[in-house]
Amino acid sequence: MDRIRALLRPAGDRNLNRVRRRQALLSALTRRIHLLKITLFCVGYLWMLALPSPRLGRGIYIDENALGPGQVNTYWNWGDVANADRYLELLEGLRDSNSTHEQRAEVLKMEFLKLGIPASTQNYVFSSSTGKYEGTNAYAVLSSPRTSGTEAMVISASWVSRIGEEDGTLNLRGVSTVLALANFLKRYSLWAKDIVFVISDNHLDGMQAWLNAYHGETQSNLQAAELELSSGVIWTALNIDYPGHSFSHLGIFHEGINGRLPNQDLLNSFHYISKWTGGVPVLVYDHVESQNTAPSWIPAEYREELHGYSHRSNTILRHIGYQARGRGSGVHGLFHQFRIDAFTMFGLPATGPHGFHAIGRIVESTLRTTNNLLERLHASFFFYILATPDHFLKIGSFLPSAVLISVAMMFAGLKIWSDSAWIPDTSAAIEKEGENNGNKWIERIRPVLPVLGMMISTHIGGVALFYVLTTAWFSHNQTIASILLVAILATLSLRALLVPAEDTRAVAPVSQLLKALNLCFASTVISITTVVNFSLAMSLAILLGIPLSLSSPSKSLPLRIAKFTAYLGLASAWIFASDEVRKALWDWEILRVWFAPFVCIVYTPLVLQAAFVCLLPS
Amino acid sequence: MKLSLDLSVVFPALVASRLLLALTNLPDALKHDHQLSSPLTSYLNLQEGIYLFKNGIDPYSGGIFRHSPLFLALFTTILPTSRTVASVIWTLCDAVGAWALVQIWRARQRVSQTSRDGLIAGAYLLNPYIFLSTLSLSTSPFENMLTLIAVMFAAQGNASPSLLAAALLLHLSLSSVVLLAPLILLLASSPVSQLASPRAFAKNGKNVAPLVAEFAAYAAILSLASTLVSGGWAWVPQTWGASLTLPDLTPNCGLWWYFFTEMFDHFRPFFLMVFSIHLLIYIAPVCIKFQYDPLYATFILLGILATFKPYPTMADPGLFLSMLAVFPEIYPYLRYPIVTTLLHLHAALLMPLFHHLWLNQGTANANFFYASTLVFACANGAALTDCVWAGLRIAIGEPQDGYVVVQE
Repeated sequence: MDRIRALLRPAGDRNLNRVRRRQALLSALTRRIHLLKITLFCVGYLWMLALPSPRLGRGIYIDENALGPGQVNTYWNWGDVANADRYLELLEGLRDSNSTHEQRAEVLKMEFLKLGIPASTQNYVFSSSTGKYEGTNAYAVLSSPRTSGTEAMVISASWVSRIGEEDGTLNLRGVSTVLALANFLKRYSLWAKDIVFVISDNHLDGMQAWLNAYHGETQSNLQAAELELSSGVIWTALNIDYPGHSFSHLGIFHEGINGRLPNQDLLNSFHYISKWTGGVPVLVYDHVESQNTAPSWIPAEYREELHGYSHRSNTILRHIGYQARGRGSGVHGLFHQFRIDAFTMFGLPATGPHGFHAIGRIVESTLRTTNNLLERLHASFFFYILATPDHFLKIGSFLPSAVLISVAMMFAGLKIWSDSAWIPDTSAAIEKEGENNGNKWIERIRPVLPVLGMMISTHIGGVALFYVLTTAWFSHNQTIASILLVAILATLSLRALLVPAEDTRAVAPVSQLLKALNLCFASTVISITTVVNFSLAMSLAILLGIPLSLSSPSKSLPLRIAKFTAYLGLASAWIFASDEVRKALWDWEILRVWFAPFVCIVYTPLVLQAAFVCLLPS
Repeated sequence: MKLSLDLSVVFPALVASRLLLALTNLPDALKHDHQLSSPLTSYLNLQEGIYLFKNGIDPYSGGIFRHSPLFLALFTTILPTSRTVASVIWTLCDAVGAWALVQIWRARQRVSQTSRDGLIAGAYLLNPYIFLSTLSLSTSPFENMLTLIAVMFAAQGNASPSLLAAALLLHLSLSSVVLLAPLILLLASSPVSQLASPRAFAKNGKNVAPLVAEFAAYAAILSLASTLVSGGWAWVPQTWGASLTLPDLTPNCGLWWYFFTEMFDHFRPFFLMVFSIHLLIYIAPVCIKFQYDPLYATFILLGILATFKPYPTMADPGLFLSMLAVFPEIYPYLRYPIVTTLLHLHAALLMPLFHHLWLNQGTANANFFYASTLVFACANGAALTDCVWAGLRIAIGEPQDGYVVVQE
């Protein structure tokens, strides 16, 4: 007991003890800060590698009790399948006669009207730097027989399928499913919400125009007719994509634009229904689990795990690809910006065994499930990574990976910042005085304003870069313009070579301060992005984490230039991926995806600052 | 890089660029923002009140309009209410505020012009917390302007204008009564920096009572004027009462709203009292500790108000941070300025983000936004405690090797 007391209350002056304790703690921390930093980096990156592991995460479950998925008898039957086939013949006729957008929409509208459902069409024109996109949407509103029509569900199909990343395959069976469902659903009086059927033109732009008009949003480059029919607040939307003759699996596509995900309860309900009501296996995306190709010398239990790992990592990589670029994986992604939970069910083309019969029953049952909702899906089921259809990662099991790296960067930045204020005093007088201790330090001033000016000017440069990218000039001469832009960027940056070296004994070198603030700011950006778009934050953590921590000034000019060139490459090489750039700009102009401006205004300047660090005198 | 900031060049340039910004359509995008304007300062509520008032309906009978009747008088008689004119007036408010801040600096230095003048004007006019708030047409720039004018006149020794400004300020925001004590101390002594040489309050306290009386008289006259304007006493519970009873729980960047949304009704009066009194308990200790430098005491109390007042907007912490420019002598003694800056950076990015996730995108909930306001409160608290530390530490002198200063 006394020993514990002695440990807690050591003898001597209380304040002196406190000061000593604090100093010991601080020096223990600062001495190990490099170790701490490296540990955090390692744990962060290893965690990222561990994300596809079957040991992480848990099985799916339904959180919202009101949903009750798969608890109903379905009535969709072979007669409805025959209807769908008849609609399909009609659509094939439209396709073969090369009908225009308007004619097509007019025919679809007439079909809805024949069923006795109010229907209408909507013309739209998008103008962008790469040209005009026009089309005509057809839609119909089936009023709910039970309520006043303040809430609605959407069933949609786009004219062009997402298969082959929009290679132009038509989604004819998806559209005929919607038409046949309209015929089927209006016969029942149990709907508590309006059902809106939308056949949007093209792949993404049609739905964007329709949703903007429905919600009264204006977009400067969009001329869209107002909707003649309206309904209530849309809660959920199901998008049907069925491009092949038959399908073997139904794939879930769920990423929305700007990294927004739908409530997981919706996906889980669909999964249950598809599996138990429809008897159709579910996939995440459209890749089927391949044969186990792990080498045979690996013990059997590890082989299974390795195989699971490789399949999951494929899925997660695709997820990151969609989410980080903010692109969304299909038409459903456009709904999310209006707070509508939506996903695409994709019929994976195969020779069998499923067709209209299965998809009709699944959609019917899913609609009955969402029809049960008394309030919006709201539980905190928006932050997840689907590793397989029945297994997912919770926020707590993936978020820390990127945050740890950002913390490591913050530590590195703070360490450099505090180091920059001090320099060991190596003047002759001191050395003579006491040979054995050289730890006499002198304080120096840190000119922050010029460094901040430098950082702000790179970001302003990013804004200018982005402005140039969105001009028509850039889209017409993309190759030359890209080379020119990078050349301008390089020459402007090389001006940093002209910054004179100051006396480092009195003033902290600009390069050191720039690196400190650069790391701190990059860390802030990463940790804040994790919540809104984890995939983007993770990509940033990989692209910025180690490179920004390694930037350093050097003495010899060739080395400085070499380092600078490497960082310039990291900052601006993306500009030569012309297809990607064009797509990202299209996304920005038509769908308002902020990935392109983010890269120009945040990512490139951050790496450029690291490039400056290499150029500036030490 | 040598900063040569001449006020006669910098000031008009800054005001002109601010005017240009104000005349874009940014205000329309920002005026609904909960962090930039509170129910007590919202431009939309002000317009609503003015409309009702012009149409002969008592604006205080509803529960939306919580601005002082002085605003009603001002905007229905003298000033037009179009958006463009409002943008110009609001920006001019900030210009006057910046000018007053420069005057405070000059009074503190006892010189008529310094090389830092331009920097100080810039610190106020370019502070994003302040100029975004002004762009959102929240009425907090008026409060900031009156605060700075009151402090400026007090620093220059003009008692009556200072007390009048303070009384006007009291009508716009009840919580600013906290500033009365240091203002009167400031009037009774001088604004010159005494932080490095603390001593007991030397001037005699005899002329304090007349100053308080004068302030009370102004406040009473303004209250009577308000009553005349609005035709009754209904404004009292709607404006001042709102600061004490917190009827409107619209989220803002402060600490009160979430606490009171979560509270059981029978605890409400008790905690309202605790929260309100909590604001007052700082007055005496801060004024006693900094009795030798009342301008610094005003500054600290402004920081406390910005952190703990019932309906804060971003402009309140903004004023505190901009005012830091007037006290360059404490900079070497700040312990963790980089941490404070980073906390502010995080909070300033997290708050709009979580607000968006909660109310626009719908994927997060109120707890997210509240967590980000807690980060903001930490940032403000860190700035505040560091300033208190530095203000006290400076008196002990330059740090010496082998010696440490501890707080008992």
